[in-house]
Amino acid sequence: MDIQAYITSGKLELYLLGELSELERAEVVSMADKFPEIQKELDELEDAIFAIDELTGKTPSLAIKTKIFDSLNLELIEEKTIKPGMAPVEGKVVPISPWKSFAVAASIVAVLASAAAIFYASKFYEKEQQFTALLQEQSVMAGNLNQVKLDFEQNENQLDKLLTGDFRLVKLKGESLNMQKDASVNLFWDQSAKEVFIAVNNLNELSEEFDYQLWAIGDEGPIGIGLVNEGMKMTLQQMQAVAQAGTFAITIEPKGGSEAPTLDKLVVIGNVA
Amino acid sequence: MEEQELIAGLRAKSRKSTEYLYEKYSRALFGVVSRIIFDKDIAEEVFHDSFVKIIQKIESYDESKGRLYTWMANICRNSAIDKTRSKEISQSNKTNTIDDFVYGFESNSDTLDQVNAIGVKELMNDLNEDQHFIIDHIYFKGYTHSEISEEFGIPLGTVKSRVRAAIQVLKKNIDSI
Repeated sequence: MDIQAYITSGKLELYLLGELSELERAEVVSMADKFPEIQKELDELEDAIFAIDELTGKTPSLAIKTKIFDSLNLELIEEKTIKPGMAPVEGKVVPISPWKSFAVAASIVAVLASAAAIFYASKFYEKEQQFTALLQEQSVMAGNLNQVKLDFEQNENQLDKLLTGDFRLVKLKGESLNMQKDASVNLFWDQSAKEVFIAVNNLNELSEEFDYQLWAIGDEGPIGIGLVNEGMKMTLQQMQAVAQAGTFAITIEPKGGSEAPTLDKLVVIGNVA
Repeated sequence: MEEQELIAGLRAKSRKSTEYLYEKYSRALFGVVSRIIFDKDIAEEVFHDSFVKIIQKIESYDESKGRLYTWMANICRNSAIDKTRSKEISQSNKTNTIDDFVYGFESNSDTLDQVNAIGVKELMNDLNEDQHFIIDHIYFKGYTHSEISEEFGIPLGTVKSRVRAAIQVLKKNIDSI
């Protein structure tokens, strides 16, 4: 359906001039119902035609008005309830003391106000709960973030050291020993900076009473340079500083480590190349 | 007063609503009649009968089929057209034109104060020959579009589109007046 063609066909104008058959009128009405553009055009045309009639019109004489209302006199009902431009609200009102109506109005207002107060108070409480929960959540997240940041800084620090330092790799193996044949730990040593890192590749889990302890063996004999966390596999663990060593070894010691290595519990050993 | 409220009042045969209707629409409706019927007495008689008919037949007005003014204007126009066909009116009335209308009341000091002659002339500005012809016949001579088609041998579709075009010009003019 071409709406524009329908609008410009002239049919709407003939409709307004009252020149369409009953059937055609019904069609225009249903088209206007269906298509807002047609209704809009019809409304605009009606406004324009009224304005044209108004402009080209002339006010009938008072005599004709009188005659018309005389003719209608018997049919029209004189009532005061409907006035032009005024809603029909008048009628018989039983007079009551104005204070009564004020009291009624005031109590209605009070009830409404209380209801509103309760409503908003509960809304407020609810929002406050939500707010507190959000604050808590936020502080947990901030804590997590801080931890992640610390971890990251530490990792970055270690990486920096590895990249900038003069590290040599010492492979500590358990092959030649009887404890754990497949035990393997990589040790990174920067002799000039006296820094030692280890990365556990494979170490058996120990029971609660024991720890792995790392030893640097040099001219002064074995020196304990820290406990090894066997659970942190493939992660760098910084050990105590050592400047001189020909061999590194890890033993199993009682919890907390020992002054001197228990040599019969030597797990891995490796020489500095 | 809202149109719905007015219609409700008219259906209740309220005098106030009827008076309101008269005040609001009598000028335009009398215009519809007196454009077609040049004779003042006959025009007033037709207007009287039309208005009384409007009030009496208000029950048959159906809002869903169009606005109140359009319904009333159609009653007035049809009554006027019927009158021009009756023997009461001499054939000379069918020679009514826009110019007769404008100059007719310009020369008639009695009605001059009631009619916006300058406005009417401005309204008719910019109509081309075809459109002028259409307005003359439909608005002032009370022709229907099919009568124009038959009498002047203009195809019905052409008459329709000229009616549309002519009213568009008037619409444009009325907006700027």
